[in-house]
Amino acid sequence: MGFLEKQTDPMSPMHWRGDMQADYFYPSGVAGDRFFKHLKQNDSFLASTCKKCNKVYCPPRLYCEDCFEEIPDSNWKQVSASGTIKLFTLAKLNAHGENLESPKVVAMIEIDGTNSRILGLIKTNDFEKDFCGTKVKALLRPKDKREGTMKDILYWE
Amino acid sequence: MVEKKEYKEWPPYAPGTYVRESDIRDKNITYTWWEPEVQYSWSLGPAMSKFLKGLKAGKIFGIHCKRCKRIIVPPRMFCEYCYGPTEEWVELPDTGIIETFSISYLDPDARRIEEPILVGVVDLDGTPPHHGFMHYFGEMTKDEIKIGMKVKAVWKPENEREGSITDIKYFKPLKGGGE
Repeated sequence: MGFLEKQTDPMSPMHWRGDMQADYFYPSGVAGDRFFKHLKQNDSFLASTCKKCNKVYCPPRLYCEDCFEEIPDSNWKQVSASGTIKLFTLAKLNAHGENLESPKVVAMIEIDGTNSRILGLIKTNDFEKDFCGTKVKALLRPKDKREGTMKDILYWE
Repeated sequence: MVEKKEYKEWPPYAPGTYVRESDIRDKNITYTWWEPEVQYSWSLGPAMSKFLKGLKAGKIFGIHCKRCKRIIVPPRMFCEYCYGPTEEWVELPDTGIIETFSISYLDPDARRIEEPILVGVVDLDGTPPHHGFMHYFGEMTKDEIKIGMKVKAVWKPENEREGSITDIKYFKPLKGGGE
């Protein structure tokens, strides 16, 4: 085959195939570690309050994201694993762009007693409903099967 | 008047918390581990395809540029000097000289090794001077290797070849050669 000939089949030349190892390791950090270890043992969440601007973080932070004030251990508290749906979206495709058998409702849930929102799946069969403002409760994994990741929260209902 | 501000480190210095290998192994910390599937398929183009298919058959192919009167190896579909198309395929011998070399005490994963690997550029016979490709050198010590040394390819057995540059295991000194 010459340089001036047109190539129409992209698979006609040889292809060099390979796998790239790109492992992803994300430690939860000091505050996140405490949050997940608490979640492993209890059915509630931990939250931390900034003493300067009174913002309540859940998952907790060591520093306030607004005023950079350090949050001491005394400002940590337990909050219940329930909240209010603030935003939601209906997902009809999975991560690979394929059609899902039944759509999934993904929502931003404001945890009760905090100013923070967590992303979660809503357990429902009603895909026409407006979920905004609905009160939901977290459905956690059985205690002996918890891993200490966000996946321990199975659904919100 | 602009007031001189005292330099203040911001955000203030905070000693970090280290994650040790044992923390991950003994699950002392919580973490997320994900192994994404990242596959690639790199099209080699017509010239490289022919070159690698040639290696599988135990032949080294070069390509001739008529205008520059030179043989290009590894082959290209166009000459990098005159940008003209290259047309004429030539089979090259598997002997050549060492153009340049390096004694490496690091393996391909950058681990330190006791016995060095010898790598360098081979200038094949029949190609213009100072043109070649990189490969391993073997059957010689780090004291014996010299620029200008005559070398010959050591091929993998035919059933193990897969159409890769490593179908040539390494280049060994050509006996009766020398400087």
